[in-house]
Amino acid sequence: MFTAKYMHIYSKEDKEQHSFTMQGSTRRTGIMTDVHRRFLQLLMTHGVLEEWDVKRLQKHCYKVHDCNAPVEKLEDFINNINSVLESLYIEIKKGVTEDDGRPIYALVNLATTPISKMASDFAENELDLFRKALELIIDSETGFASSTNILNMVDQLKGKKMRKKEAEQVLQKFVQSRWLTEKEGEFTLHTRAILEMEQHIRETYPDAVKMCNICHSLLIQGQSCETCGIRMHSPCVAKYFKSNAEPRCPNCNDYWPHDIPEVFDPDKDREAGLSKSNRKSLRSRQLL
Amino acid sequence: MLQKPRSRGRPSSQADRDWGRGGDSRASRSGVAEEAPSTSRGAGGSQEPRSASSQGARRAGASPAAGPRSQKQLELKVAELVQFLLIKDQKKIPIKRSDIVKHVLGDYRDLFPDLLRLAAERLQYVFGYKLVELEPKSSTYILINTLEPVEEDAEVRGDQGTPTTGLLMIVLGLIFMKGNTVKETEVWDFLRRLGVFPTKKHLIFGDPKKLITEDFVRQRYLEYRRIPHTDPVDYELQWGPRTSLETSKMKVLKFVAKVHNQDPKDWPAQYCEALAEEEDRARPQASAPAASS
Ligand SMILES: [Zn+2]
Ligand SMILES: [Zn+2]
Repeated sequence: MFTAKYMHIYSKEDKEQHSFTMQGSTRRTGIMTDVHRRFLQLLMTHGVLEEWDVKRLQKHCYKVHDCNAPVEKLEDFINNINSVLESLYIEIKKGVTEDDGRPIYALVNLATTPISKMASDFAENELDLFRKALELIIDSETGFASSTNILNMVDQLKGKKMRKKEAEQVLQKFVQSRWLTEKEGEFTLHTRAILEMEQHIRETYPDAVKMCNICHSLLIQGQSCETCGIRMHSPCVAKYFKSNAEPRCPNCNDYWPHDIPEVFDPDKDREAGLSKSNRKSLRSRQLL
Repeated sequence: MLQKPRSRGRPSSQADRDWGRGGDSRASRSGVAEEAPSTSRGAGGSQEPRSASSQGARRAGASPAAGPRSQKQLELKVAELVQFLLIKDQKKIPIKRSDIVKHVLGDYRDLFPDLLRLAAERLQYVFGYKLVELEPKSSTYILINTLEPVEEDAEVRGDQGTPTTGLLMIVLGLIFMKGNTVKETEVWDFLRRLGVFPTKKHLIFGDPKKLITEDFVRQRYLEYRRIPHTDPVDYELQWGPRTSLETSKMKVLKFVAKVHNQDPKDWPAQYCEALAEEEDRARPQASAPAASS
């Protein structure tokens, strides 16, 4: 059998959750059941999921453990888990994709920086390639860095020498583990990575980061005013100018010179089956 | 170019406390003491209306510091330890005490037993993972899932489970059916009939020889030993300690029975052995009270 040394660990009652970390805190900490635990385990294997999949996952967990209980509202369900995760510096964060405003959920780690978390998966020169790509993306006007530009940096990498051919494969590794996404040979940050790296990017590149004028969070790609230069996420533009025939810049009041995108509609999206292929790609890899 | 100033000139003693090679941990950057808890960083990204910073202050102020370290510092250490164990477990490689000390605990090594116990509590309560020592006194740990896997999990995950698990179960089954030890040559004779060859790259398993004799061995699912005085050299395979912790003889027998479309009782010797193991396991657990330190 198991060693006696840690026997006491197994039989800790759930009640004792406050014993150490939550001492002195008056904030109500949620109660974890196997429904929540299975949900967390499965979410952890994905790292990131679209809202629709998260709801499916939640229903699945209720079905496995507790057929009769009513399924809690997703927001409350997640708030409950987050109140427990808080002491572990982990959070289920909700965000939207910068291009089409698709809502997603990601399990993010707040105790260590994303780069140190990546360190267990990538070698030093690979990590440095990521840093270089990140810098190019942040510095770019569009929020995208071309693979050519990224590959031109390989000679400057720290650590073991890397050939361009290898660097191409490493970039694909970043795409698979959802730190980057690729569109027609250009790379940008994956939404999951933005959720996880926002603070890190703000602190590390304070002079280069762009912020959204509407939601005030980090902006990698979006639209900008040609007069005053302020920027807005596409989904924020969509909401802000919704059914506005003459959109004007919220800062300088000049004409907004870009197409106004449509607000993301989950029902319409599912009907169109657009998300199908997207969901597949989200699901295909596991990652904490 | 924008270059991070801090990741280069950091003293190595601090770098050692980081998780990994390219480490850049907040905690080690400026010392945990003055560092606000990381939850207060989510200013822009989080939709949560909670005020994390005031909470952190309240928490730190309300509880007496354990020794020279504050409650908040310890809490952060436990959090880092939990995340370290979760990440390491994903690769299924047993976690050594020395790695925990080196990559997470650093100056907190004197608190190893307490911090590990607290991390284990959190892992069990929050995630349903049980932290166990792989073998007595091995100072090597793995996480065991306390939630029974259900078939639909794989469907929700959108995969067919880990494909290599199937091969592992086949090998575990073979070992058990052959009296708990099997020669490597026998394993390949058996697998060849299933279209898996030691030297041929397999579409799903990649390099089967490496998977079985290296990966599964490193993960401690299998033991792989040279049989003395054999010419030509042959090796034998047995169950590793992780196997006994994660599964049981009965479960493996049921797997074998299912594959053959038969009943476990059709193999009376193995069935009795599996039953005995079940009874054996039930005993100490029932009599072991929840000791508290
Ligand atoms: Zn915005
Ligand atoms: Zn303007």
